[in-house]
Amino acid sequence: MQSSIIGKRNKAWQWLMGSLTNHNSLAEYFEPIIQLVLPKWRADLVRTRVHTIRHENQDMYTLVLKPSGKWQDFQAGQYIELTVEKDGAWVSRYFSISSSPAYFARTGLIELSIRIQDKGNITPWLPQALHRGSIVNISQAMGEFTLQPEHQSVCMIAGGSGITPFRAMLQQLSFSQSKQTTQSITLLHYARSSQHFLFKEEFENFEKHHSNFHLKLMDSEMIGNVTSAHIGLQSQLNSHTHFYICGPSPMIMASRKILETLNTKPDHIHYEFFGPEPLSLDVQSEQTAVLFDRSHKQVDNNKNQTLLELAEANQIKPVSGCRIGVCHQCICQKKSGVVYNTKTKTYSDTGAQEIQLCISVPVNDVVLDL
Amino acid sequence: MNMQANIATPETSEQSPSLSSLDEFANELNAVRERTMAKVGKTDARYIRNLIRIQRLSDIGGRVLIVLGFLHPAYWVIGVMALAAAKILDNMEIGHNVLHGQYDWMNDPNINSRKFEWDNAGDSASWKRYHNHEHHTYTNIIGKDRDFGYGLLRLSDDTRWKPRNLWQFFTYIALCLNFQWGIAYHEVAGERIFMGKRRKTSSLPITREELKYAFFNKAARQLFKDYVFYPLLCFPVFLQVLAGNFVANLLRDIWTNTIIFCGHFTENIHTFKASECENETQGQWFYRQILGSSNLEGGRFFHIMTGHLSCQMEHHLFPDVPARHYPEMAKEVRAICAKYNIPYNSAGFFKQYFSVVKRIIRYSFPDNQSSTLTPA
Repeated sequence: MQSSIIGKRNKAWQWLMGSLTNHNSLAEYFEPIIQLVLPKWRADLVRTRVHTIRHENQDMYTLVLKPSGKWQDFQAGQYIELTVEKDGAWVSRYFSISSSPAYFARTGLIELSIRIQDKGNITPWLPQALHRGSIVNISQAMGEFTLQPEHQSVCMIAGGSGITPFRAMLQQLSFSQSKQTTQSITLLHYARSSQHFLFKEEFENFEKHHSNFHLKLMDSEMIGNVTSAHIGLQSQLNSHTHFYICGPSPMIMASRKILETLNTKPDHIHYEFFGPEPLSLDVQSEQTAVLFDRSHKQVDNNKNQTLLELAEANQIKPVSGCRIGVCHQCICQKKSGVVYNTKTKTYSDTGAQEIQLCISVPVNDVVLDL
Repeated sequence: MNMQANIATPETSEQSPSLSSLDEFANELNAVRERTMAKVGKTDARYIRNLIRIQRLSDIGGRVLIVLGFLHPAYWVIGVMALAAAKILDNMEIGHNVLHGQYDWMNDPNINSRKFEWDNAGDSASWKRYHNHEHHTYTNIIGKDRDFGYGLLRLSDDTRWKPRNLWQFFTYIALCLNFQWGIAYHEVAGERIFMGKRRKTSSLPITREELKYAFFNKAARQLFKDYVFYPLLCFPVFLQVLAGNFVANLLRDIWTNTIIFCGHFTENIHTFKASECENETQGQWFYRQILGSSNLEGGRFFHIMTGHLSCQMEHHLFPDVPARHYPEMAKEVRAICAKYNIPYNSAGFFKQYFSVVKRIIRYSFPDNQSSTLTPA
């Protein structure tokens, strides 16, 4: 009863504020004014100070951040959306938090370990643009890729920068009260070369103190990518083992396929895609997909259709108008992925932004808020 | 004065430049657009944010001063001016331009065409649906651009004279004083809701019920804010606040109406037939935008207060380029038009406004030729 009264009161308050300000909240209305005192402040995000930038190796670095009090806690394995201002525009990227909640509780800091993308717009730029004390914005933590304590036997398969959520999980265990975890954990850590094993010392140190933890450094230069033999060779794994996979999508796909052939139960395989999940395990890498997030529809993108045509062909009817990019009615939030704008003849950023559906052709995997 | 003969006659297209020269014309305009877009960035973000800050301060400051009017009437007067200025900035330089998607590249959740809602009786999403699509695509095509005369005024020979046109100058004054409601009613939804006018081929992806809800919801919120909530909040000076808000809305209505009429209904504006514009090329489309619009000349402050609709031609050529660049672009556009012998209609405010009034009065009366001819 009481909650419904509070709910009604909230609704009335929202209606009042909406009517007075033509914004969703007072905070949004005052946002530009508040920014005079707190630069880059956002009503919907958590203002966060850069504590340090740590270089891990030639193509990875770690942003150490101190979120403001508005930031709630998180679970090891979750990710956040990092939003920074570049040339007057907000740009966003998703990153797993590579440090643990226990570390956050002690220091108030979280870490994002970021791989520099070759032709990236943002990841090579961040360490140059940011320095100690710079302001960025982050979202609250999201994601369900967390280590379940009831899984007694666990195998983590990490590819490249996919190590980050596992580092958070292992750090959390190392901080925990009971020095010995009852969980048996094997980490298959794949990296491009022996130079690229991120957090190697930390994991080795952890292995020394935890007899239930087994670290396997898999040097792809020497042994290639995931094979069934790599998994089959691990004697500590059994039919009850839960597999947690994180890495580039081809690696996740390959691992899932191998586990399928090893008769692993589907509910024992845990993974997370930062984009649309490929339709089947056999798709070619050239084929891309568009995920209509709100409609829960994922469709193959093989023709050179605009997103508007693609949506309509799949019985999703977004608001649209002139269909030539003038009227801005079909504007839609792209959560991730690159699209080609046929009017300006430019490629979009890969992060979240507003796009015009009628003149956007998907280039790679695209997620739309539609 | 030769132009006079061409005004609003269907023969216009016969004297239009050749297709190939219009193609070159389009290329040059596209180059202007590209050069400008290359400059868009940090400065534009700072500009629009600062403008929003000024709008907020002027909104709040104005409302406070209106209340303080009991100390001295001058406070009330300044307060009303400040509130009217806030509404004008919100509707024109901020709202109108944001709703055209000029700042969508900023990726800001509150400064984008999908979400922005303005301090105006018309629901912004419904307005955008009509204005950006129909008015900007079919500018000055009789029967397609409902902005041409707003269904109330006869502004060219293309529409048949009716006796009610005789007193259309007073209709115009009434529209001017209630412009936000005129827009909300005529452009957005009203007619379709109340009169049951249904188009054969509706491009609207939303239902009439949704349209109706958006219309009444927005109208109720606006009336509640200015005429119920704030007056009651300052109950002892109820009337003073009510009157202040009323006058501020009125000033905004007169100003926006005047500026907008100067952009499309000046003397030398051309009108078009739907048949002339079928399958038109980009060059022809640009050409029509130029012939269908007119500019006002003035200083930077004037341009900002008009939401840069003083550069109506540039706005129609480049609706999604941040408007603060229009005055710079206008110099180039003017030179390009001169090169291709395309009339560029730009003059001071009073000259343009006088010609608008002249046009309204002139078309109050039946066309000389047609009236002398015997009805067939």
